[in-house]
Amino acid sequence: MKNLIPYFTLGYPDNETLLKFLKNIPVKKINYIEFGFPSNDPRYDGPTIRASHKIGNENFDGTSYRKIFDYFHENNIKMYSLSYYSDIRPKFKEFIDYLKMLNFSGIIIPDLIIDYFAESTEIIEYLNNVKFEYIPFFSPATPDAIIKKISSMTDSWIYYGLQPSTGIDIPYEIDYTTERINSLIPGREITYGFGIKTENDIRQLMKNGGSGVAIGSYIEKMLEKGDENGFLEYIDRIRGVLDE
Amino acid sequence: MHKYRSMISTINREIIPENWYNVIPDLPEPLPPPRDSKNDFSSINLLNRILPKEILKQEFTFRRYEKIPDEIMEQYEQIGRPTPLIRAKNLEKALDYKGKIFYKYEGATSTGSHKINTAIAQAYYAAEEGVNGVTTETGAGQWGSATALAASIYNLPAQIFMVSISFKQKPLRKTVMNLYRGNVVPSPSNLTEYGRKILRENPDHPGTLGIGISEAIEYALDHNYRYMVASVMNSAMTHQSVIGLETKKQLELLGEHADVLIGCVGGGSNFGGFTFPFLPDHPDTEIFATTADEVPKFSKGDYKYDLMDSAGVLPEMRMYSLGADFVPPTIYAGGLRYHGASPSLSLLINKGRIKSDEVNQDEVKEAIKTFANTQGIIAAPESGHAIATTLKYVKQHKDENKTVVVNVSGHGLLDLSIFGDSK
Ligand SMILES: Cc1ncc(COP(=O)(O)O)c(C=O)c1O
Repeated sequence: MKNLIPYFTLGYPDNETLLKFLKNIPVKKINYIEFGFPSNDPRYDGPTIRASHKIGNENFDGTSYRKIFDYFHENNIKMYSLSYYSDIRPKFKEFIDYLKMLNFSGIIIPDLIIDYFAESTEIIEYLNNVKFEYIPFFSPATPDAIIKKISSMTDSWIYYGLQPSTGIDIPYEIDYTTERINSLIPGREITYGFGIKTENDIRQLMKNGGSGVAIGSYIEKMLEKGDENGFLEYIDRIRGVLDE
Repeated sequence: MHKYRSMISTINREIIPENWYNVIPDLPEPLPPPRDSKNDFSSINLLNRILPKEILKQEFTFRRYEKIPDEIMEQYEQIGRPTPLIRAKNLEKALDYKGKIFYKYEGATSTGSHKINTAIAQAYYAAEEGVNGVTTETGAGQWGSATALAASIYNLPAQIFMVSISFKQKPLRKTVMNLYRGNVVPSPSNLTEYGRKILRENPDHPGTLGIGISEAIEYALDHNYRYMVASVMNSAMTHQSVIGLETKKQLELLGEHADVLIGCVGGGSNFGGFTFPFLPDHPDTEIFATTADEVPKFSKGDYKYDLMDSAGVLPEMRMYSLGADFVPPTIYAGGLRYHGASPSLSLLINKGRIKSDEVNQDEVKEAIKTFANTQGIIAAPESGHAIATTLKYVKQHKDENKTVVVNVSGHGLLDLSIFGDSK
């Protein structure tokens, strides 16, 4: 099954609404789920997700989510944390222990190889040692040699952002993108995200060997409106496209 | 091999590369992406309305080679590419240097500097989109001249905001831009809200490149024009790679290897264009980026996210910066007064692959004189900085037999006033 990875910022738009959405997710239609732990400086996210972090920061209360995390775990949905290294750096190991205790499978750290490249090897090795998946995050600005090096340090799936930040709209060329990444790291499981525009783009990404898609900004907008039906229909539709 | 002696020029169209070179996929670390300067809106999305689509693509592309369209190739020939690479034998002799000095001469293009290399490309893509016109800022006037000519070639109106102090100091530049059918106003101006605001606070404001950029962008948004990027941003750096790619080929034809590369840095475009193509296969070549003592971005600036323009309309970039509201002292080289430097160049400086040098105004003047009375070329004050570093380097390594290649980014025939008070 191709991966459909919905993204949620914890605490957005409020704990109650988010929990209601999460409880009704059709667990058969997704296999991974990504949670943004609210950041003080979500600098590689676009305006929609940046706003969700700000609100999430005010609302987030870890205990409210324990049950839903257990529920996803019991249903074999792998949970991943999206966290900025600038936030978790002071208590990195404690934070990883906490995620493991919550049964998370791994972590995506968008700023690690950009702003903390010198520390990245040590961090990735640590995560390998404690058997917690490090999900490499790459973008068009990641140099070829770095893509190869960082990928070779893990055997997890790869998160490839099509845009310089989430939910924005710079022209991209799917065929070139997939060709590049496939030739740099052949055979790896690659999930695309960050501003995928249309269902046709998803089709093309999958046709060119993509393993799945992550969707974020669009969902945040439906959460904001409390549009649960719209959300469920959207999940259905994207699942349909992935299953074609 | 010995068919060519000390000069390689326009004998061969094949010296012009078929592709531009983009350094991003070859950087030693990931390039920090642009970042929104304001919380509630996307200045990155706004680029869609400011830049031609194709330029925007090139801004964020990971493609190492970008094919130069035939139409642009044709115009590259029209404006005098390839430019010559000349061995500076008279200079070598005057300095009693055991090694070799070559200079790549971008002053030989029709507008007299490298700026036309990217202006042609940007105006071409803007014209393809059928927009109303193009607009930009200019300091010393080199970029404004290039924009005006490129726009004229593609029959687009050009609105140019010239830093007020330069507008007053260099009236001939305005004449040049007018001959190329460009409209020029001193900036801050009354044509934009931002300019009017600054003029209300200080009617005699001398202007800065940051203010000029802000005005041009506002003008582009209000008039369905496209903004022409002088430097700093990746697309301009990529277009300028014609300089380095030609130089590489010319050196190859001469059977030479560059031990040292030297260029001057305003935003970084002539420098990056000249040196980046050497990075992948010249790991041992020493590379020096020269700035003015008065604009010490690499030694005194911070490597941080900062604004590209004073109004904060464009996204922030991670770069060496003295601060977007830095008002530099008036120096000979208007083109080197910019507060920041291109993100890719900044990263390479930060990682130590490229070294920086700073020279003072006296050294620049001396260097221009020496270069003029040996080689006959009157270099632009900006290029004079690179020549000053070259002279310094050669004097310090007199007996080392190295091949030093310097980029002379433009001629200084419209900047002669800097010698007005000298004997
Ligand atoms: C002749 C010349 N050289 C150099 C520069 C500096 O710009 P850049 O660093 O983008 O090449 C300028 C800018 O106006 C210039 O006119």
